[in-house]
Amino acid sequence: MLFSEFAGYADQLEQISGRLDMIDLISRVLPGLDDAELPIFTRFVMGRIFPDWSPLKLGIGPNLLYDAMTGIIDATRNDIIDDINEAGDVGTAFEKILSMRKSEAYSSRSAQSATIQKQLFEQTEEMTLSSVYHDLERIARAGGRSSQQQKLNIIRSLLSSATPKEGKYLARLLLEDFRIGVGEGNAREAVAKAFSVDSSLVEHAHQALNDLGEVALLAKTGENALRDVHIRIFHPVKMMLAQQGTISGAIADNREMAAEYKYDGSRFQFHKSGDQCRMYSRKLEDVTDALPDIIVMLDSATDHEVILDGEVIAIKDKKPLPFQTVLRRFRRKHGIDAISKEILMIPNIFDILYLDGDTLIDKPLSERRRLLERVVSGHVAPQTVSDDPGVIEKIYDEALALGHEGIMLKVPGSPYTPGIRGKNWIKIKPSVDTLDLAVIGADWGEGKRAHLFGSFLLACRDNGALVPLSKVATGFSDEQLADAYEILKDHVIARSGKEVKFEHFLVFEVGYSEIQKSPNYPSGFALRFPRFVRIRDDKAVDEVETLSGIRERYRQQSGG
Amino acid sequence: MMLKATIDADILKESIDAISALVTECRLHTDETGMSTRAVDTANVAMISLSLKKEAFESFESTKNELGMDIAKMKNIFGMMGKDDLIILELPDDGHKLKVSFEGYRYSITLLDPNTIRKDPNPPNIDLPGKVVLSGSELNNAIKAASVVSDKIALGIDPASSLFYMSAEGDTDHIRREFGKNEVNYINSSEARSLFSLDYLKDMGKVMNKAEEVEVSLGIDHPAKFSFYIAGGNGHVEYLLAPRIEAD
Repeated sequence: MLFSEFAGYADQLEQISGRLDMIDLISRVLPGLDDAELPIFTRFVMGRIFPDWSPLKLGIGPNLLYDAMTGIIDATRNDIIDDINEAGDVGTAFEKILSMRKSEAYSSRSAQSATIQKQLFEQTEEMTLSSVYHDLERIARAGGRSSQQQKLNIIRSLLSSATPKEGKYLARLLLEDFRIGVGEGNAREAVAKAFSVDSSLVEHAHQALNDLGEVALLAKTGENALRDVHIRIFHPVKMMLAQQGTISGAIADNREMAAEYKYDGSRFQFHKSGDQCRMYSRKLEDVTDALPDIIVMLDSATDHEVILDGEVIAIKDKKPLPFQTVLRRFRRKHGIDAISKEILMIPNIFDILYLDGDTLIDKPLSERRRLLERVVSGHVAPQTVSDDPGVIEKIYDEALALGHEGIMLKVPGSPYTPGIRGKNWIKIKPSVDTLDLAVIGADWGEGKRAHLFGSFLLACRDNGALVPLSKVATGFSDEQLADAYEILKDHVIARSGKEVKFEHFLVFEVGYSEIQKSPNYPSGFALRFPRFVRIRDDKAVDEVETLSGIRERYRQQSGG
Repeated sequence: MMLKATIDADILKESIDAISALVTECRLHTDETGMSTRAVDTANVAMISLSLKKEAFESFESTKNELGMDIAKMKNIFGMMGKDDLIILELPDDGHKLKVSFEGYRYSITLLDPNTIRKDPNPPNIDLPGKVVLSGSELNNAIKAASVVSDKIALGIDPASSLFYMSAEGDTDHIRREFGKNEVNYINSSEARSLFSLDYLKDMGKVMNKAEEVEVSLGIDHPAKFSFYIAGGNGHVEYLLAPRIEAD
């Protein structure tokens, strides 16, 4: 498939507002693709480039993309930012810029008489879906000190041979912000429809393989291939997530629940095969090298080929420490070695997804727990199964007294559903009013904060877009402010006066006293007394609070 | 050893300057007869072909290789070399780092993966009937003069009077330089006229400035070709530049 055809479909999909029409269009395209194109198309249409389990990351920020464009047309980075601000999105701006390049000199802003710069070559090779994917893979693999330059050159050669329409979707792919409204759900439905297979099989295979592209290939082969999927070692799967709830509610709904402490640490997924071990974070990044002593502990806890789910906590004077801050600070100031001397890191394993070739996610928790206890000899988190609210209340009090966040209640008969925040895992913790929000902008500080960002603009999610909700300027220590500045300073994408805008990647947890209706922010809400709690670097921007979640909290606090 | 060569600093600098006028990186090909590269700038507007025969070197031994050269980095490094230094270039068999020694300095320069650099373009097949040969410094002077008043320059041959002319039109000012038959080393009487971006020509002009003679090939609204020798005749550079044409 030519990339121009893909851009054409993306364009059509962007115009479609109905979910079913979208699914229908995609499902008509998929069967015509060959085996190399099918996974690429399936991922691209969701704005993903690589399988979700893959460690490959593009690592392209907006500024790199703008700089690539300045090499193609006569414009500065600021000219391009102006165009983007005007167009409202990078893709649309690039489409316009590229169409100006083809028809008349982009520099005609300043030129006396319009002349067109001819090129030495007519575009000889048309970009295909596969050639673009190949180039993106080269970008992700570029390494070493000149990696930015190499990335820049590949992006330039892609953009310089792109038509305006191709440029639009190329830019959005490069930023992994595709904005045509095709999410995982729609894409799964389209795969099921395209190959006439049961969509629950597609969903299940997707959970196990963590790459809808490969699932599409299996779906093409038939339902049996989908039924036969296995989790693969060193291909991390998404982590199962928990809902908020109450002890009495959980017992009432399920009678019996398995209770575990809820650790305030860093969630991990540990894979071991022979003498090979890898550890993945909640965002499925490979963090094996960050915590070598944890790897040693987990490695020596079992001789089996396993995938384990758990949480690492930091302990000092027998009390758990707030984990994020500790880890980040120590990594930076003392290097990894020094962490282990002052602070004890301990893994707590609470689930097993794979054992010696068998995929366990469809087995009930009680069965997984039995296997876990049998094959792993240490660091297994304690669990109590009970139908007595009194017993569970006692574990809850104990957890808080020990300095943990609360408890998890899990339905003993439930399967492990990767990436799903369902009713089978319930988290119980003291009600603290905090929200995880995306940091999208800031104002420069004043006085002693003059060279730092002073207040930050925060946004929640709404249908894939980020909507400003509040600013936060209090609750920071001087060190935290300096940290935030260090993290954000190279991610400024626009400035005007005292305001800056950032690439969307950082998540703050903020506390507040109340949610108010407000005309000041596009979300229609604002936070009263917002205060910074911590940086959530284990969370991605697409996991922040949604606008409907804010609405729900507003309703609850006003007693509705 | 994939490559071992000794070269005069001046020749190496001249070659790198010629390439860096257009691109920041290129694929450099070496074999037993010498080195060559061909590269197009990212906007697809200008191309350089450069070759250095083994005779351009004090000593030269090479197998057939393709090296990913970071030209911008090379330019910075060689900026500090003296004029008459001899430079030793060595590429061990593992082929990832180029060793460069001069004046007691020993550099180890990481090469780029050639696959990340745009493939060598094939030169477009074009017929440029107008030809004029003149001194590189005369050409560069006229380019510099034109860039004072405009960002574009017309190059042409008037067949009736066998004149080579360069003219530039600014908002308010105009400049024209004519070269009569006696001021050039050769001219034919093929009519030619094309308009070019001075952004490109200025950088090329600096390189051509040193050439005793430059052969300019022209057409009507066609690319221009500038061809000249470097390294005392043991190296050759060809620039090809796409024209600007009037918008409708």
